[in-house]
Amino acid sequence: MSEPVIEVRDLVRKFGDRTVLNGISFTVEKGDTMIIMGGSGCGKSTLLRHIIGSMQPTSGSIKIFGEEITTMPRAQIEKLRLRFGMNFQFGALLQSLTVGENVALPLRENSQVDPEIIDLVVKLKLELVGLTGFEHMKPAEISGGMRKRVGLARAVALDPELLFSDEPTSGLDPIMTAVIDQLTLDLTRKLDMTAVVVSHDMTSAFRIGTKMIMLGAGKKQGHIIAMGTPEEIRNSDNPEVQQFINGQPDGPIPLKLAKEDYLERLLGQPRPEDM
Amino acid sequence: MRDYLSLNAQILYWTLLAPFRGRPVRLAHVFEQMVRIGVQAVPMTALTSLSIGITLAMQGAHELSRMGATGYVPDLVALSLLRELGPLLVGVVVIGRSGSAVTAELGTMKVSEEIEALEVMAINPVRFLVVPRFLAMMIMLPALTVFGSYIGMAGGWIICHFSLDLETAAYIRRLIESSKPMDLYSGTVKSFVFAWLIITISCFYGLAVKGGAEGVGRSTTNSVVVCILTMLIADAILTGVFFFAES
Repeated sequence: MSEPVIEVRDLVRKFGDRTVLNGISFTVEKGDTMIIMGGSGCGKSTLLRHIIGSMQPTSGSIKIFGEEITTMPRAQIEKLRLRFGMNFQFGALLQSLTVGENVALPLRENSQVDPEIIDLVVKLKLELVGLTGFEHMKPAEISGGMRKRVGLARAVALDPELLFSDEPTSGLDPIMTAVIDQLTLDLTRKLDMTAVVVSHDMTSAFRIGTKMIMLGAGKKQGHIIAMGTPEEIRNSDNPEVQQFINGQPDGPIPLKLAKEDYLERLLGQPRPEDM
Repeated sequence: MRDYLSLNAQILYWTLLAPFRGRPVRLAHVFEQMVRIGVQAVPMTALTSLSIGITLAMQGAHELSRMGATGYVPDLVALSLLRELGPLLVGVVVIGRSGSAVTAELGTMKVSEEIEALEVMAINPVRFLVVPRFLAMMIMLPALTVFGSYIGMAGGWIICHFSLDLETAAYIRRLIESSKPMDLYSGTVKSFVFAWLIITISCFYGLAVKGGAEGVGRSTTNSVVVCILTMLIADAILTGVFFFAES
């Protein structure tokens, strides 16, 4: 049994007196596609940033490929980062470079590969995400969905062992969502790439995920309220989880306040008993 | 302050040490920045310097004519430009034009997560973004300063020749006789110091932006103000140093 690719233990992160992550623990094995879900503001992106080393936790341990990254010196983290790729929520492409130059960036900066081969790889990766022929456009000239896809092409430019994706399919049409999902499946199943995906696209999540965790909000802010395989999550008896995966507007996570609370909020005082 | 010094240390590392460890500076990026920071500032620099030269000559002529000493107008123009006004005014033009652009550009990259994306791709942002701009500024600002000083002297010539009826040859001769090499050197040394200050402060404020478009705006304003103030203080110190060294 090989060691897990990612091992997070008791991760805590506070911003001032607000605790965003409160004791998160999970592991990701090689070849897994881990889906991190949760409502807006529950800390999914913050968690992802801790795992890639962009943020430092208040306490807790994060191990990637068996190495503890919270105490690692900068130069070593850089070496580690060559082994993974990240696709940001809005692409995070460099605006001053063309699409082709953006995808070529990791190759150009971190390898000694011939420029002609770089060109070839760029074309291959763009073809993979359905953007053949867009090499010479600037990010400002293409749609948001296309920018996301270029981001994905860039993230896999060096064929990393570990892929991180922050909402890879939000804003994409159903067909493109299926294309990206299929691509992620191909990369992970066929090339044995491990993936960590932050998503709230349930269709996509159940299509590609092998393990899922759900982060809580409100009183359960910063805790994992559900963890398991897609089957286990689908059959979960936690009503919050069911509300989330079925997309119901009202449930344990309330849409509207109870009448008394609402009046109190409006009038600024508890409602008199006799009315 | 500590972060600022750290940025300076990193810049020095990537310019002086890293190339000998097999991580050379990307010349293509440096040239690109030299065009953006320097070459594109030439028109504005020329115009500013010309006006200053003309104004200096006019003011000088007005005062010196009372003592019948208008022959010394070229001296006034040359010394003021070479020692003080050349470096200062070209510095101000470059701060307003290129320094603010650098802060705004890096700041916008910061808020659109581009800097973070670079870090996650194991590309050091200081090496990739700051160093080319640093080298470009260190080369172009002194060049622009010398250029500006001489354009300013041409402006002085316009007044001296057409208004004071000074012959061109006489004007040039006065310029050469009145100024010493030290004047040019002190002005150029000043411009190197200004270049260092301007680019490190602009990049520092750019990379430190937080908070969306408003943050970028605020950082850019602060960057320009701090650059100007620091430059003026440095100018005063350096002027004192040079006077002391000469005596």
